[in-house]
Amino acid sequence: MIMKRFVQIASICSLVLIFAFSAYGAGEPIKVGFPAILSGGGALFGKPSSLGAEMYVKEFNAKGGVLGRPIELIIRDCGNTPEEATRVAREIILKEKVDFLVGGFTASQGIALSEVAKTEQVIYIAPVSKSTAMTDPGNLHPYVFRAAANTNTEGRSAAVFMAKNPWTKIATLGPDYEYGQMVTKAFVEWMKKIKPQAQIVHQSWPKLGETDYTPFIAPLLAAKPDAAFLSLWGGHFVTFSKQAKPYGFFEKVKVVAAGEGGSPETGMALKDDLPLGITTNAYDVFYYPDTPEHKSYVERLKAYTKQEYAPSWAITGYIAVQFLAEAMQKAQSTDKMKVIKALEGLTINTPIGKQTMRAKDHQATRGQVWGTTAKVPEYPFPILRPVEYIPADDLMD
Amino acid sequence: MPDPSFLLLQSLNGLTYAMFLFLIASGLSLIFGILGILNFAHGSLYMLGAYFTHQFVSLFIDAPGQFWWAVIFASLTVAALGAAIERFFLRHLYAREELYQLLFTYALVLILADFAKVIWGTGQFSVSRPALLKGAVLILDQYFPTYNLVIIFLGPCIAFTFWFALLRTRWGRKIRAAALDREMLSSLGINVNRLFTVVFFIGAWMAGLGGALVSPVSAIVPGMDVEVIINAFIVVVIGGLGSFWGTFLGSLIVGQVYALGILVFPRLSLAFIYVLMALVLIIRPWGLLGRPLQR
Repeated sequence: MIMKRFVQIASICSLVLIFAFSAYGAGEPIKVGFPAILSGGGALFGKPSSLGAEMYVKEFNAKGGVLGRPIELIIRDCGNTPEEATRVAREIILKEKVDFLVGGFTASQGIALSEVAKTEQVIYIAPVSKSTAMTDPGNLHPYVFRAAANTNTEGRSAAVFMAKNPWTKIATLGPDYEYGQMVTKAFVEWMKKIKPQAQIVHQSWPKLGETDYTPFIAPLLAAKPDAAFLSLWGGHFVTFSKQAKPYGFFEKVKVVAAGEGGSPETGMALKDDLPLGITTNAYDVFYYPDTPEHKSYVERLKAYTKQEYAPSWAITGYIAVQFLAEAMQKAQSTDKMKVIKALEGLTINTPIGKQTMRAKDHQATRGQVWGTTAKVPEYPFPILRPVEYIPADDLMD
Repeated sequence: MPDPSFLLLQSLNGLTYAMFLFLIASGLSLIFGILGILNFAHGSLYMLGAYFTHQFVSLFIDAPGQFWWAVIFASLTVAALGAAIERFFLRHLYAREELYQLLFTYALVLILADFAKVIWGTGQFSVSRPALLKGAVLILDQYFPTYNLVIIFLGPCIAFTFWFALLRTRWGRKIRAAALDREMLSSLGINVNRLFTVVFFIGAWMAGLGGALVSPVSAIVPGMDVEVIINAFIVVVIGGLGSFWGTFLGSLIVGQVYALGILVFPRLSLAFIYVLMALVLIIRPWGLLGRPLQR
């Protein structure tokens, strides 16, 4: 009898002890799940994004981490489909018992991971996914945050640039799916608001992944626009540029292109085929801004990735994890509810300047770098010059 | 209404598209007309033609006329692959029901698509236009790429040569005779099996050439196989399966409807083509210039 009671007490005590150790164990790492595209075509951007996150975590831990504990990133390949991202995220949550997720890439992966965050009640910060649908009033929930720009800020900053120029007849061309439609809609609406005399003279919608854009080029030219807004990203922009060039497209029409056509990676891929004099954007470019913070970031990243030019997508993962780490520091806790409270309205100093996570829509005030493609003597590929950071603060609802 | 110069430019774009379709659809139509096989994998051979061209162009990087050498080698590689497929697989299926042949060529589509992904990944490639044809021609104050102009002439020439060889030469007669009555022909001492392999070789060659020639003007991506085979089927359904001039007419119609459709209703241009196909299927199920099947 006494023996039985002793066993009971002992087991309860040991359970309490185990619980206490796992929750408050000194120096035990805080695990953060990071699903990323590490295979297939998307790896070109997914890999640097996760490298940026890794570098931030390494530096953060070297400075002592948070609450005396280091952060441990659990990076897993999640392909490019929302199904795979969901599966990978659930597996990390189940096996590694993480309370925090950062990652995912495409717009639809962002929406899928937000669903996982809602049902599993873990905090999710999207570093890249842009669709506003993820944080629209109907879909927003306490656990989802976006460190990336969204389709509204991207489309609207293109409109801001377009409106500065004396162009009134505007055409648009974008892929016929979530991102293309949302960013074009944001562009057109903002254009009408800030420059009412501007006219949309033509809109075309090739399907996503169109291989032959030539049938869309003549109708666009026939509308005789002064300028065109394109939202073809990555390889689609490369294909379009090559096909449009012989039609004299870039001489006849001024081009403003969303979709990160200004990433140094695109310039390196296209070299002389990148049309000069077009306006386009990027998450980060290694040659701008000329601040000490950014210069030091670029040098550290070059050393960390062992690449000649610092990759532009690294900033996405870097800032997303920075938001999470600084929120924990501010909350002095890893309790999910306390971290959410700390994230809301949190302002951090990133390599590209101050960023704030807005409390009302869980969206970071993330602007983008915009500029005009030009050949310069310093680099063997075209870069953006002049180039400027267009902040998002005035462009958000 | 846009200027006439833009209409002409768009019409020329449609014509370029039509000529690529014609090159591919005529190979499809040829194989069906003679062997009676509906080759789903024809689009996959086209895709391989494009990928091989990309590969060979980087191989012949320093040779003069590298693009044309790449086109020749790529299309011949595809043709050899086509012949091997006929010799080692399809040959065993001639005696079976048509359903088995369809299933086999469909399986080939999946296998070849994965094969391309394993070798070249899922990224995009593009090939530069040959140096001599990089520029553009001024037509009614609009620029039109020289390369596309060359395709408009080259496409029908190639297709016509193949068809002529098959239909008007002694060799061609044998092949057509084999299509009608292979037992009679083999009892006359003619190697029918070899004839069939040759037909498949030529059909695959046309698909490979289509893919090779399209590589400078299109992105080379996974999925281009399925896209083109659907359009090629639409062409032969409209024109008439197995008919040379029907295929030609079908390609012209699809090319123009697509290109001019974009001018009028940009978002419905693809729908127009399907509507057209549906109409033809209702009114003339055997195609505009085809003959009703007699079974």
